[in-house]
Amino acid sequence: MKRFSDVTAADGLDLTVNDREYLCLLGPTGAGKTTALRVIAGLTVPDEGKVLFDGREVTHLEPEKRNAVLLSQTYSLFPTMTVAENIMFGPDIRKVPEKDKEQMLFSLLDLVRLTSRADSYPRELSGGMQQRCALARAIATSPDVLLLDEPLRALDARLRIDLRRDLKSLARTLGLTVVHVTHDQDEALVMADRIAIIRAGRIVQVGTPAEVFDEPVSPFVANFVGQSNFFTGTVVHSGPEGSVVEDEAGNRVKARPTDVAVGEKAVLAVKVGHTHLLKLDAAALKGKIERMLFEGRVVHVDVDVAGAGRFSAKIPSSYRGRYQVGDDVGIGWNRNKAKVFPYPEGGLENELKVD
Amino acid sequence: MPVVELKGVSKRFGKVVASSDIDLRIEDGEYVTILGPSGCGKTTLIRMIAGILEPSEGQVLIGGRDMSGIPIEERDIGYVFQNIALFPHLNMLENVSYGPIVKDMSEEDRQTIPVRYLELVNLLDRMKVFPSALSGGEQQKVALARALASGARLLLLDEPLSALDARVRMDLRYELRRITKDLGLTVLHVTHDQEEAMTVSDRIVLMRNGRIVESNTPEMMYRAPKELFTANFIGETNLLAGVVVENRDDRTLVEVRDGTVVEAQPSKFEPGDAVVISVRPERVHALEEGLNAVVRTMSFMGTYIRITAEADSEDILGFDVPVPRGRDFNIGDNVHLGWSMASALLYPRPPGGIAEAVKLE
Repeated sequence: MKRFSDVTAADGLDLTVNDREYLCLLGPTGAGKTTALRVIAGLTVPDEGKVLFDGREVTHLEPEKRNAVLLSQTYSLFPTMTVAENIMFGPDIRKVPEKDKEQMLFSLLDLVRLTSRADSYPRELSGGMQQRCALARAIATSPDVLLLDEPLRALDARLRIDLRRDLKSLARTLGLTVVHVTHDQDEALVMADRIAIIRAGRIVQVGTPAEVFDEPVSPFVANFVGQSNFFTGTVVHSGPEGSVVEDEAGNRVKARPTDVAVGEKAVLAVKVGHTHLLKLDAAALKGKIERMLFEGRVVHVDVDVAGAGRFSAKIPSSYRGRYQVGDDVGIGWNRNKAKVFPYPEGGLENELKVD
Repeated sequence: MPVVELKGVSKRFGKVVASSDIDLRIEDGEYVTILGPSGCGKTTLIRMIAGILEPSEGQVLIGGRDMSGIPIEERDIGYVFQNIALFPHLNMLENVSYGPIVKDMSEEDRQTIPVRYLELVNLLDRMKVFPSALSGGEQQKVALARALASGARLLLLDEPLSALDARVRMDLRYELRRITKDLGLTVLHVTHDQEEAMTVSDRIVLMRNGRIVESNTPEMMYRAPKELFTANFIGETNLLAGVVVENRDDRTLVEVRDGTVVEAQPSKFEPGDAVVISVRPERVHALEEGLNAVVRTMSFMGTYIRITAEADSEDILGFDVPVPRGRDFNIGDNVHLGWSMASALLYPRPPGGIAEAVKLE
């Protein structure tokens, strides 16, 4: 646990990162992601609790003795040193024999594709190159654990998509254990072996990308990792084949089996990507198309359902001619894709807040 | 009304050419995004329209009027920056009231307009709060309300969402479009984010190295990009080098590097022409026959799985399968990849190589 005067940045954080695992710590700004990373690196001492590496307690060990290296958002390259000098700066490397050093530099430059820029200064490099240079410098110290704080945030959106793959395959090639902090759920889905979702200083769920996407533990997770539609009502049926939720307007929708008891107020969550437009007579929910936004591979469709609010769906771009704004459509989903949660105590809006 | 026109606009900083001979017309009520990688000149362009920078050559016209020498405060524009710039010592209502007061509006307008715009961005209940008590997304909404309250009909947005979290960004871009369309404003929005550009705009202007590469609706930029750079920048795509072997009326046959012949859209290319095939990952399928490839990676994307495979032609191809079908594939599997003829676009092979032509930085 870590408190900054009144603010609790990390509150009873329990997390195990496995050897050679790529773990993404995902959460909104202010959730305590960076604090958690700094505690692991030894740059911040926790008020309570322990940090262990391979079962060995390192809570009060100095950062340089931990063999964990933190790559900050801003890369912090030395502006007066060349790429090669930056990479070979690490204190551990200075003890390495000259011949081995040269060999090491060659392979690192090759790895991050900066061989032709070895003699350039950081200011002469693009953002992506600076990021790769900082990464090479971090790897040069042969850390057991690589800690990445929003490593792609400063880069252009399109470039980020390409670098996700590069970074992940680099980590895998080198067999590194990585903790990667991000606010970007797409980035986490693509890169992580496991995702830990953090909110208000607490880890709310840890799992593989498929687990946190398909089996969210709360409405917050359901909405934060991939968008979800929500239907608020009362559980009116619950059985082994599934459950049924009914709202005040009398709309009835189906979901998976649930532990929420019949008669309890509940909220059903279903991913926007699992929500389908249906023929009117085949659907439990009916509404009018409010808007359609072209997103490339899919078209985002917002449907206003009287009394139940807005439901969004994604349809393949090739279907876009079948619908237009103003059309009456049905909305539905495979019941196994819909999960029922107890209605959140602080209200749904508060539960879903990401900002 | 605020039609914006740029005629032969160039801007040089010493030897560096930031904008080069730009011709652009933005219609009244149109929502246009200027999209491009860092350093492409998009920020310079919006600053010349705002009057923060003067062009080295050419003319900027707003509503038909030449803007040379006219300072920013006399151009009647609303401007929202990437770095949220609210007055820290003023509460939300006072921040939004700034425009109406500076513009010397009537007492009644000074009272009603700020309230109306705070309501529009759904922050009326936070009007007495100071900026430090708001989240990044909320602050940026107030910055928008403040820009709108000045009564400007032309809104310039300079990377307005870039400083925000991905999830907040997603919600805010829908809001941006809704609000500006409701008000019938002309909007020029600068961004490096192709997804953002695609969802908010009527039209995208793609820039690179100070020049306009291509301009069209989001749908046309994605479905039928005229330039190879556009095909790769807007959405992801697979690019394969090949040589045209036969041009039929209804399709073009192209031989890729391992000798396999694949189909592409009808074209004007002649047999022997060096070309690049562009085909989107969602259009590539594992079939009974086709390009022979080995599965290298599989990534869970939520509603689908993105598989990358290395083809005998040495091209790396991405393709998507629905999640339940992901079980049918394993890393190391042999697959045969193909696509419908209409999904494959053709471009002339760039003399400097494909990688150079689509380079992002």
